[in-house]
Amino acid sequence: MRYISKTRLFASSMLVSAGVFGLAIVANAQEATFVVSAQNVGTPSYNPINGTQLNDAITLIFDRMVIQDADQTFHGQLATEWESTADGMSWTFKLREGVTFHDGEPFNAETIVWWIPQFAETENAFMTAAIESVEVIDDLTVRFVMANPDPNLLSNMSSGFMSIPSPKAFDALGDDFGVTSAVGSGPFKLESFTVGQETVLSANEDYAWASDLSENQGAPHIKTLTFREISEDSTAFLELSTGGVDLLYSVPTDFLPRLEGEASVQVGTMPGTGLFYIPINTTVEPFTDIKVREATAFAINQKEILDNLYGGVGSVANTFLIDSLLAANVDPALKISYDPDRSTAALEEAGWVMGSDGVREKDGTKLQVALWTQNGTEFKRVTEVVQAQLKAVGIGADITVFDSATINDQYRKGTDHQLAVRSYSWANADIIDWFFSGQRLGYPNVSMWNDPKADEMNLAAMSGSRTWEERVANFTTYHEYVLSQYVFAPIYQPVQIYAYDKEAIFVPEAIRGTRLQSQTVVDITVN
Amino acid sequence: MTAFAPIRTAIWSPRGGVSAAVLVLVVACALFAPLIAPYAYDIQNLPGANTEPGAAHWMGTDEFGRDLMSRIIYGARTSLSVAVTAISISVAAGLTLGAMAGYFGGWFDRAVTAVVDLTWSFPEILIALILIAIIGPGLESTMVAISIAYLAQFTRLTRAQIMALKNETYVEATTNLGAGHFHIIFRHLLPNALTPVIVAGMLATGDAIILEATLGFFGLGAQPPTPSWGAMMSSGTAQIFIAPWIIIFPGLAIAITVISINLFGDALIEALDIRNRLRSV
Amino acid sequence: MISFFIKRLLLLIPVFLAVSLVIFMIVHLVPGDPIDNLVQINSSPEQKAALAAKYGLDKPLYQQYTIWLGNALTGDLGDAIILRRPVADLIAQNLPHSLSLGALALLFSTVVGITAGALAAIYKDSWIDRVTMTLILLGSTVPGFWLGLLLIMLFAVQLGWFPVSGARSWDALVLPVLTIGLGGVALVARVTRVAMIETARKDFVMMLHAKGVPPWRIELRHVLRHALLPVVTILSLRIGWILGGAVTVEFVFARPGLGSLLITSLNQRDYPVVQGALLMLAVAVMLGTLLGDIVQAAMDPRVRERIK
Repeated sequence: MRYISKTRLFASSMLVSAGVFGLAIVANAQEATFVVSAQNVGTPSYNPINGTQLNDAITLIFDRMVIQDADQTFHGQLATEWESTADGMSWTFKLREGVTFHDGEPFNAETIVWWIPQFAETENAFMTAAIESVEVIDDLTVRFVMANPDPNLLSNMSSGFMSIPSPKAFDALGDDFGVTSAVGSGPFKLESFTVGQETVLSANEDYAWASDLSENQGAPHIKTLTFREISEDSTAFLELSTGGVDLLYSVPTDFLPRLEGEASVQVGTMPGTGLFYIPINTTVEPFTDIKVREATAFAINQKEILDNLYGGVGSVANTFLIDSLLAANVDPALKISYDPDRSTAALEEAGWVMGSDGVREKDGTKLQVALWTQNGTEFKRVTEVVQAQLKAVGIGADITVFDSATINDQYRKGTDHQLAVRSYSWANADIIDWFFSGQRLGYPNVSMWNDPKADEMNLAAMSGSRTWEERVANFTTYHEYVLSQYVFAPIYQPVQIYAYDKEAIFVPEAIRGTRLQSQTVVDITVN
Repeated sequence: MTAFAPIRTAIWSPRGGVSAAVLVLVVACALFAPLIAPYAYDIQNLPGANTEPGAAHWMGTDEFGRDLMSRIIYGARTSLSVAVTAISISVAAGLTLGAMAGYFGGWFDRAVTAVVDLTWSFPEILIALILIAIIGPGLESTMVAISIAYLAQFTRLTRAQIMALKNETYVEATTNLGAGHFHIIFRHLLPNALTPVIVAGMLATGDAIILEATLGFFGLGAQPPTPSWGAMMSSGTAQIFIAPWIIIFPGLAIAITVISINLFGDALIEALDIRNRLRSV
Repeated sequence: MISFFIKRLLLLIPVFLAVSLVIFMIVHLVPGDPIDNLVQINSSPEQKAALAAKYGLDKPLYQQYTIWLGNALTGDLGDAIILRRPVADLIAQNLPHSLSLGALALLFSTVVGITAGALAAIYKDSWIDRVTMTLILLGSTVPGFWLGLLLIMLFAVQLGWFPVSGARSWDALVLPVLTIGLGGVALVARVTRVAMIETARKDFVMMLHAKGVPPWRIELRHVLRHALLPVVTILSLRIGWILGGAVTVEFVFARPGLGSLLITSLNQRDYPVVQGALLMLAVAVMLGTLLGDIVQAAMDPRVRERIK
């Protein structure tokens, strides 16, 4: 609380002095308000090292070593160049010169030596688990000595969780880092943060180390940037259309037709990192029978959902991975794509015959199953359509809506669940390990799939790969086996949709990276 | 002279007459939904989603292309049955608890009163949301949550009635004749306390319909595709600029029903002349 | 009289203990685990156990309760598990928003409700009475989120008079206050109307009429004043509504507040926040009831007499 009032005082004295010099209008014109995506409402902190949920302001306050462009290539930010040895056991990074944190502390090799060990014992420890130690070569060169090869290292280092905080501020603030204050080297400084409400940032006028992905190599054009948190998508949209805010980080797909009718609103899309699917519990009747699982998987009409619920925006899912991952390139014969004939044939083969009420039966038992979903308009809509699609092949489904915390708890408590509509957001093939590893039965392996052959493939993919190519090949094999066992049914891959008020701000057409991050935001200008 | 006389008086008053007619209509919708509704409530027609109100669909279609009017008619079934069942449970439990507290007095009364006063001061929506978090989602748990949320109201009211009646001479006379406690409570006290509690229950049914809708806004209550007015408004929130009718019509259905309940309740209170006895709420 | 209130205050202690126990039990009855919402994909069971130990969630329940209650009595409500900051800070951050919205909505309901109720009582059984009472009924017969959305569509989107959401300026309060305020008008108006009609039948009012005091003066100075007593009683008992009842409206208008803090934390199983917020509401309710009694006593000589 004290922090807020101090900032307010600061802001009002700024206004007064600006007024004296007749600059009030100029200062005012460089302000912008962005709305974080609804799923990031309530993000508790800006601590990249132990935070499990971070919102999009994180890359504005902090810089990362490397950043990834939309084409998956890596570009240096605080690192200028890097190389690894052929066996993947050593990585050398050259660091950018002249970088200072917001508190005036310098960024150098010592920062990295301090930084990597901070992850130990935190929830994000897996990010750096493969790094055994960090050696200083010279003031601006470091070497990572690896415990085992990690082809995933650069990908981890480009994530928001590997943003680099000021060591001095981080140690001084302890648990309060990211809560009351956050100090990085990014293009914006944190002025105030009220959880669940708003975050106010001010331009870092000293910023001169933007990556080569940004046109603007100096301080950001926006001088005061406010991030608001609005949990109702419709409220956020109304704010945008009435000029109350300037940019929405995410817009539900079904708002698109209406958004396109707004003269002042510009909509853009980026490839998504998420996927909707139905995990099938392989240990509960009738899904112990692979034929019933096959029938369920092929009963889902992905195209119908894409076209009618999402207006054709996004793409159908036919595997467990998002299309941009190389391990998604599986044998086309193994892809799961709507085929009602195959579905009904599998059910007939398994002995389920159509009953008079449109639900199949076998030995007096009805093919009536439980279909779980979680709270939220999008989930409920997809689930209702899935229910109708299953009914079309003779599978009756009863929907239960849980809130997202309860549904995970239900999975831990009992193992009698059957089907559910779920989604994940993760741009790496190791998500297959997370959801299907025999080590994680119950949760997160809600398919309860325990197959020694699969676990062998899992081991090869997870820790038996030395190079990126090898990792991709191993994961592709593993992925293909998962697909062949029908332990889930794929549904849909969303895209990220953002929208902004084109009369208020100018956003470059090409979004660099996988999200709207610092590399693009520094180029945004206020009209 | 029968017990129906005040109801007749209420119906013959202008407010009571109109509201009673509306209520009969709503109840008829709930009872005979399959005969009245022009379409089935769960048949999806995705290409025809979000159709504006027109000749084929008087109230338009929802985001799955289902006929909105049919869903509102079927929704009356869910909303009314949830509200009526919940309030019935609540009234029954409140009568028992309140009668025992008022009759026996002592520590039992003090304990009941303390808990009841406290929960009565908490917003019903908070009580219901917390209870559903405990018992889990679904239509039954929604009913239970709503009934507990309103329990305090009926317990207080019953207790006040019993307290007032307890000291009346005929009760004392019965006690002196050696009648048992439960005989006195159920034979003599409760019948006399019943009318105001039932009228209050009727009024609370209106509030329960709104509470059910509000829980629907949080995604709780009837599980899809079962239509309830609350659940329809909840999904309508997301469609408000594309298809405002999805949220407007169920809201109007609620408004009309609840206003009618209130007006009829008022007419009944006047006809029964029990305004004073309802005061203790 | 002072000794009476001290006695009343002391009586609140066992109630407070009972309530704190009930709140603690309720929160721990909720299925779900805050740790699950804290960890990220790829975390190990050991990391989860360490986290549970950090927040004392591995201790037996009775121990967790005594620790929590002991700290709460010294004003320390603990740290939020998910939100990672002191619960007291979170309450302090949200309370002003709840108070301003609740108090203004209450003011609106009271002023409009008493005016409408008085009007209806003075013109009892005329068309003015009927129309007024039916009109004010409208606000309380629709769900708050529905009314709120319609008000946003009309006043923020179509007319552009007020901001759509947030709590960044005073004018952002107008629509939420209207939404909640309109819902409360009917209750106040009804109580006022009935109380005034009944007071008007009392002997002292008859006497004033006989003395030739102008009727409007009697209505306003004597009848209305007496009729306010039940209104105050009702309002003092509804303090829980003021602080925690705005939850749907807070969601629709993206406003901070105790109600939404409570529900969001409940959904994330952030036990310390839910416990702290509920306890705070309960204490507010208990004090509100007490305050109601005091005001009632101050206004009504009969109650004062009974206390002695």
